[in-house]
Amino acid sequence: MAGRKGREGQMLESVYSVLALVFILVACVELYDAATVLDVYRLIQYDLAGVPFGSRFANLNHHAGSFPFRSGADLSRTVVVIPVRELNMTILQEYITQKQRLGGLLLLLPQKFSFEHRGENGGQTYGKHVMQKVAELEKLLIHANLPYPVYFGFEDDKIDEVLADIKKNDATDQHSTATIGGYKFVVSTPEPKKVSSAIIANIQGWLPGLKADGDVNQLPTIAIVASYDTFGAAPALSVGSDSNGGGVVALLEIARLFSRLYSNPKTRGRYNLLFGLTSGGPYNYNGTLKWLRSLDHRVRESIDYAVCLNSIAPSENELWMHVSKPPENVHIKHLFEGFSNVAKDLGVNINLKHKKINISDARVAWEHEQFSRLRVTAITLSELSVPPELLDSTGGLYDKGHFGDRTAVFRSAKLVAESLARHIYAPLGKNVQIFADGSSLAVNPSYINSWLDLFSRTPRMAPFLSKNDPFITALKRELAEHIAEVHVQYELLDGMFSFYDSTRARLNVYQVASVTFDLLLLLALGSYLILLFSSLVIVTRGVDDLIGIFRRPPSRKFKTA
Amino acid sequence: MTVFHFFNCALLTFGPHAIYYSATPLSEYDTLGTCIKTAVVYLITALIKLVCLATFLKVTENDSFDPYQELLKALIGFIDVAGLYYAMTQLTHRNISQTHKFQAVGLGWAFADSVLHRLAPLWVGARGLEFTWEYILQGLEANANLVFTVSLASLGSLMWLRKNKPKALIPFIYACAGILATMPSITSYLRRILDWDFPKVVGFELLASVVMAFLSAQLFFACQRRSSI
Repeated sequence: MAGRKGREGQMLESVYSVLALVFILVACVELYDAATVLDVYRLIQYDLAGVPFGSRFANLNHHAGSFPFRSGADLSRTVVVIPVRELNMTILQEYITQKQRLGGLLLLLPQKFSFEHRGENGGQTYGKHVMQKVAELEKLLIHANLPYPVYFGFEDDKIDEVLADIKKNDATDQHSTATIGGYKFVVSTPEPKKVSSAIIANIQGWLPGLKADGDVNQLPTIAIVASYDTFGAAPALSVGSDSNGGGVVALLEIARLFSRLYSNPKTRGRYNLLFGLTSGGPYNYNGTLKWLRSLDHRVRESIDYAVCLNSIAPSENELWMHVSKPPENVHIKHLFEGFSNVAKDLGVNINLKHKKINISDARVAWEHEQFSRLRVTAITLSELSVPPELLDSTGGLYDKGHFGDRTAVFRSAKLVAESLARHIYAPLGKNVQIFADGSSLAVNPSYINSWLDLFSRTPRMAPFLSKNDPFITALKRELAEHIAEVHVQYELLDGMFSFYDSTRARLNVYQVASVTFDLLLLLALGSYLILLFSSLVIVTRGVDDLIGIFRRPPSRKFKTA
Repeated sequence: MTVFHFFNCALLTFGPHAIYYSATPLSEYDTLGTCIKTAVVYLITALIKLVCLATFLKVTENDSFDPYQELLKALIGFIDVAGLYYAMTQLTHRNISQTHKFQAVGLGWAFADSVLHRLAPLWVGARGLEFTWEYILQGLEANANLVFTVSLASLGSLMWLRKNKPKALIPFIYACAGILATMPSITSYLRRILDWDFPKVVGFELLASVVMAFLSAQLFFACQRRSSI
């Protein structure tokens, strides 16, 4: 008997365990059938010399609210959704400077900013107004420490609908909280982790000149340098077509043009050409510094001068040549004359600007200053007249391909190539056009266009580019196509900067009911069931029975007692 | 919070069945066995129905309303009636009166139907963050279905078990039973051809359930009065 019981107990136990397993499995089925799913891009999170900046969190799970909120409202559990078009900068600035808590912030960029609309030339219709706002916003967010998640997204029909709904709710003073239904925004990503070792990759290519009868090293060298990486408010959106996509593309084009000249011994110049694609540009040209230090000092000393290209697509045909040596310097004078002669032919206005280097200052505003610090004559060509602040004008959100003028890139590429050629082939005389339009050596607009397209699609913040990133490989391969001795040099980024990952995520938008609604529903259901019970009892057994049901328990107690 | 919502919806879907069982004399006469037996019969019927549907029905890509297919579907739907007939007449019921028998059979049938058709979607859907009215409406539909099934069972007991029923009422009984049996086809027609949305369909079902329950009760009592005289 006992044995049978024991066996039964065992069987029951096993059945229970199977049942429990099934229940656990069923309970694990997680559901994500959201009303809308949106690709979102997180605001940059970084430490600058240990001081935290940017958005410090990534996980989001709050109700949504619209922007012109009531003053004094508690928004610490609300995701504020703001289309940048309607953004009121002063209010946001106040919020950030007062360090008010938000549950989260979702900034909706106009659709024109998204990748799909990159190619269209409709960008101008948005006008300067929105562009300026985006630039301002970016500056504000980069330099703020925000203890909540901040995301960028693009407006589309679905999210616009949701936003209109949220606004309607807010307008009727039903601020969506836990007690009143509304929309819930959920981003579930792992906690952002520090990028352990940010690698910067400098690509270097060498086009040797024709040695007369002596040693190659005796030939002077001209260096053409451009920094290719970007920094922006949203790392996954920092494509920087102007800063410094244009410069890099111009460099590639110059390399292509000169490789054709140098392939024939008859037209090979008596200068070596050194091409450098440097990384770490936004961080005081850290990559340039490391690259220069790694160069053989004989090579470094052979550099006659270096031309750095930085944002060379001016909208008003005005370029600036930034130098660190006084303009009276013979080399500078000669260079400037050479450039301005060509510029005049091309209808570009070029100005010289001198800025002394303060060695004790850690800030390096222009790439050529890294050369100048090592006593190499160098200039920077740029559309900017004043040196940018740290992390400013480094190819952020507002720097989108279709907003820049592409013919300006063609013109600048031609300007630099022509000036260099006239310097190299000086004996030919002053008025020879080497890269004349229509000739076999003309600047190729489709080549530049296709590369600009690629650049305006590729986010390339150095800390988030892996060692074998396809983009770096593509740049290297492209250089190697034209010139010999291309190699990539990997360095670690300056330890002053550290970055955090999880730069993009998916935002789930759920329409939710409130707890109050469910409570009311429970109440209604309860009364319905009680009513049903009572009426059924009355119909089938009579009123006395119903009363009897409620009386029974005490009478039973009485009996047992 | 969403588990809360799930609980609410489950209460609305399955609560009435339990209330019906405990409030009416069904619980006093211990008719649980009948309910369970009926539920088993329902399961087998559902299986046969599925096999029939899979065998005879063409799969259409578009959601169009083909009259022939729908007729076939309605005919297959009558397998339900056959199942009910079996449950009512062939199953051995421990001496319970006819009145209780049809209620127990209807209840067991409706409960099995609710569990089979509504529990899984409820568990999967109502726990999600996203709120929809669908599961509440589905619960209401379950209520209407309970009333329909019990009404059909009552008419079935009149048709199959009661011998001495008034001749004049027989056509009415058959007509009502016919309407009840084709109710799934009617709702499907409303939804697909007239393009009614779910709330409207559920409203119709609730209204129809009240009307049909009233008619069935009238018929049942009329027959009972006659037999008692």
